[in-house]
Amino acid sequence: MLVTLDKAISLINEGKTLHIAADDSLLAQLPRGKWIGGTTPYFIAEDGGVFTKDMLYVNEIDFASDVRVAVYGKYNIFQIVEDCFDNGLTMLILPYGSKVTEKYAKEAPDVEELLLHPTVGWVSGHDLATSEDSKVYDGTTGTAYTDKAVAMFLRLPEGKTAMINIVNIFEDDKDDPVITFPENTLEVDKCSVDGREISFAEYIREKSVDTQMPLVADYNGVYFNISVKSIENGKVGLYAPVFKGIEYRFARRVSNYVEEFKNRIGATGAQKPVFSCNCILNYLYGGLEGKKTPPYAGPVTFGEVAYQLLNQTLTYCEIV
Amino acid sequence: MAPNVQAKFELLLQKKLKYTSANLGFNMLISKLQRKVASDPESMAACVREADDFAAKFPAVVNADFARIAAL
Repeated sequence: MLVTLDKAISLINEGKTLHIAADDSLLAQLPRGKWIGGTTPYFIAEDGGVFTKDMLYVNEIDFASDVRVAVYGKYNIFQIVEDCFDNGLTMLILPYGSKVTEKYAKEAPDVEELLLHPTVGWVSGHDLATSEDSKVYDGTTGTAYTDKAVAMFLRLPEGKTAMINIVNIFEDDKDDPVITFPENTLEVDKCSVDGREISFAEYIREKSVDTQMPLVADYNGVYFNISVKSIENGKVGLYAPVFKGIEYRFARRVSNYVEEFKNRIGATGAQKPVFSCNCILNYLYGGLEGKKTPPYAGPVTFGEVAYQLLNQTLTYCEIV
Repeated sequence: MAPNVQAKFELLLQKKLKYTSANLGFNMLISKLQRKVASDPESMAACVREADDFAAKFPAVVNADFARIAAL
């Protein structure tokens, strides 16, 4: 829920365990306590999508039997799979544009046992009209970081499991050629289209690809998106990495973004997500300002974490 | 993994059967194991063990999936 600064301070001082998303000017004023946070002024609140630097989005964590908070850099980020609770949920916030985020993006899918430890989270961002730093906060020390990730490890009561899921409005067109890449990378030079090596930037230009539509990869019936960030000097920048050995196609065009979201959300059957976040690209391209996506509400993000880094996706977690 | 589940699960990893779980993590695991088996068919036994480890960790979720896979 969106709350005022006074309310957030009051919740922290009551000793509540909190996940908080807000503009840096607000997070910097919070007292120490059992919370982690990340910067963003964009939200999908219960009343609809909103840009605000005056309110904070707070998730109260009332389902955990134990809580630990830790901070990780690029050299030890995957220590999270060792440090987490055996039956638990890891909430992870990574700062946009940092080395730790790049490392997580590129290597998470190869991390042994990551799938045995439910990990959900997001990439913190900033007001797109500014070039402010994206930050994460360890509320237990009151420290902000631009180069480290913060994790909140939550122990779940016996018999409870964290279920992470996504809502993705994109699918591939199976008639489209398959695109593969020679390495795990966030910046692409060459790709292979139906086995023929070609400049990826050139392919996008020749095919007049609408780059608001992401690349999608089929993970056993679940589609993961890779959004195009830029095309400069013959190279294609991506918001999430492509991986060697994975087959991609560009997504089929979505004619009514908001309607498609409604349809997909209706199909999920989720009742009470304890956390959700949605991508800034969905917010912008889908015109989600003022639009509701019940039962999902939370920060609008520069990347989503559902075990690995995702893009242009609504990500959520339920405790079942 | 029971033998009747394992027989179908191996076909799933060879992409001779299709099954999508409601559990994102399990789908990601199946996809990863399918790629592993495609690049090294000898890894099948290790892949089945990895799926068993996942099932042991999340029995409430995966046992229902295994029942559906056995019925494919």
